[in-house]
Amino acid sequence: MIVGKSGICIRSIMRMLQHCPKEYGSQGIVPFLIALGIFLQGCGLVFDAVEWVHPLARHELSAICSKGQVRVGISVEPFRPFVFPAVYTDEGVRVTGLDVELIREVADALTTYCGGQTPIVPTLHLTRFHDLFLEMIEGKLDMFVSSNGGNIPGARPAGLWYSIPYFHNDGIGAIIQNPEVAERVRAQFRKQAGNPDTLAAIQAGLSGLTVAAQKGTTSSLYAEANLLNVRLLICDSLPASVETKDPHIDVILSKHSILDYVTNHVWPDWHLLTRNDGAPLLLTQENFSVVTVEENRRLQWFLNNLLYRLDETGRLERMRRRWLEEDYAPTRRAATEGLPFEVSKVPDHYDQGQCRFAAGR
Amino acid sequence: MKFRVLLLISPSLVFFLTWSSISWAQAPREEIENTAQHLATLLNVGRLIVQRNQALINDPRIGNKGFTPEVFEQQVLDEFIRETHIDLKHDSSQLPSLAKELLPVLLESSKEVVADAQLVINQRGIGYKNFVPATFGSQAARKFSNRSYVKIKQTTLNPRNLKNTPDAYEENLLKRLATKPAIDTSITEWIDNGTTLRAVTPIYYSQDCLVCHGDPKGILDISGYPREGAKEGELAGAISIRIPVNKR
Repeated sequence: MIVGKSGICIRSIMRMLQHCPKEYGSQGIVPFLIALGIFLQGCGLVFDAVEWVHPLARHELSAICSKGQVRVGISVEPFRPFVFPAVYTDEGVRVTGLDVELIREVADALTTYCGGQTPIVPTLHLTRFHDLFLEMIEGKLDMFVSSNGGNIPGARPAGLWYSIPYFHNDGIGAIIQNPEVAERVRAQFRKQAGNPDTLAAIQAGLSGLTVAAQKGTTSSLYAEANLLNVRLLICDSLPASVETKDPHIDVILSKHSILDYVTNHVWPDWHLLTRNDGAPLLLTQENFSVVTVEENRRLQWFLNNLLYRLDETGRLERMRRRWLEEDYAPTRRAATEGLPFEVSKVPDHYDQGQCRFAAGR
Repeated sequence: MKFRVLLLISPSLVFFLTWSSISWAQAPREEIENTAQHLATLLNVGRLIVQRNQALINDPRIGNKGFTPEVFEQQVLDEFIRETHIDLKHDSSQLPSLAKELLPVLLESSKEVVADAQLVINQRGIGYKNFVPATFGSQAARKFSNRSYVKIKQTTLNPRNLKNTPDAYEENLLKRLATKPAIDTSITEWIDNGTTLRAVTPIYYSQDCLVCHGDPKGILDISGYPREGAKEGELAGAISIRIPVNKR
């Protein structure tokens, strides 16, 4: 804390007084510290001292414990296999996917943290992807999980914090329908003769083509920054880009793992763009994180420690194999392990939206 | 003389009182059995309406399908009239009072299920949504049972949803029904010394059901469950209703 933040500091202390009058009042520590703070020019020291004396002052984790629920945002646009479209089950409307399984893990760990007496219920807010950031900053969510990486330039709005990865080594991939597009890119790789430069091959190979990416995602950030010679379409969702016929779309960019799933299970007319030897072609590397706000320091440590443990026990790897490699029906998984969500929070008459040319292109 | 008159009157009086007490006891029983039949019919009609609209519900090209709770309700009311000649909305005078009390609750529960599913139904670009007669029926029965002392449940011998597992009574009955020709009425029985009615209404596979429940047996259907290898007309399961007499 510094002198300039004394106003914030005093508000924080007042808030703590409001929540914990008995504890502080009985000990008589707070009046003393406040008086001290008036004499001290920087009351940050006081705040830190109060925190030190009483570390259980109300914070985001204790708020979750006392409410018995954690508010988690998740994208309403399907990012299969991370989040599948909502389906109806014997239990009502449910969503499922790798991200949903992770949310269950977080909720279970929170239950343990909160004493295990009452389960912490994850309250899912299905929201348009680009609105997740806003809802997070406005304090409507405790966190969001939406196959979202923070290591792409421009992907981290100010005030948000990204956890250590729960999904490693993904990246932006591309799908096409016309084999000639693949040949154009392969020709560029051949020219490089053993000295691969993916960015150069993609820039030259896709030059003049129509490329689509979803609004607000890292793939649209990548395209805006690196693919200056393409006609860039920004779409409201991945299904919207697949459905758009006019203008004709040559290439769709999205997360490689998502494109791998949908070309195998949903849109067999589209094919992954690969390297010349058939290996996966990733345009950049991306790790997916859980997102919360900068101020939630305790929640941040909680998430990082949990994800580290899930990683070292192999749980994250098992989740990855379960959703990306196993043969399964999402509907059945939704029925047995899906989570409900607040229907009232979902945008009215959700549909997958449309595509439009990027501004200035 | 007076004594002789009394001797003559007494047996008549005893007979009259006995007969009338039997009638008084039987009247609510008939009413309850009748109500159970109507409840099963109404739930089945709801399932039928969902099945009839399946192509619309699963059409990925359309966003707002227009299959609203009100549209659903109207179709249910029309079909209910067709099957029973009873107009639930405007003239339910033919119904026993218990049915007049319970049928609107089931209809409202069914509408709520359709309302809850609007988000799923109206997704554009998504084909199969698993809003099918079975999932509709499970939720409608549960919602109704939660707000009533009458319990309704869908059940079958090999349930996909374990919550639909039959109890011993239902299992025994389902096994018997499976070996007999199809019937279109409920099987009713008074149990627990006549204090509770159990009514089981069989459901048989139609051609539409076989897309998921037919051949090839064991191969996963679109929702990820192994097909049962069923044939048209075979027993699919039943609607099981339990109505206690004394908890009204």
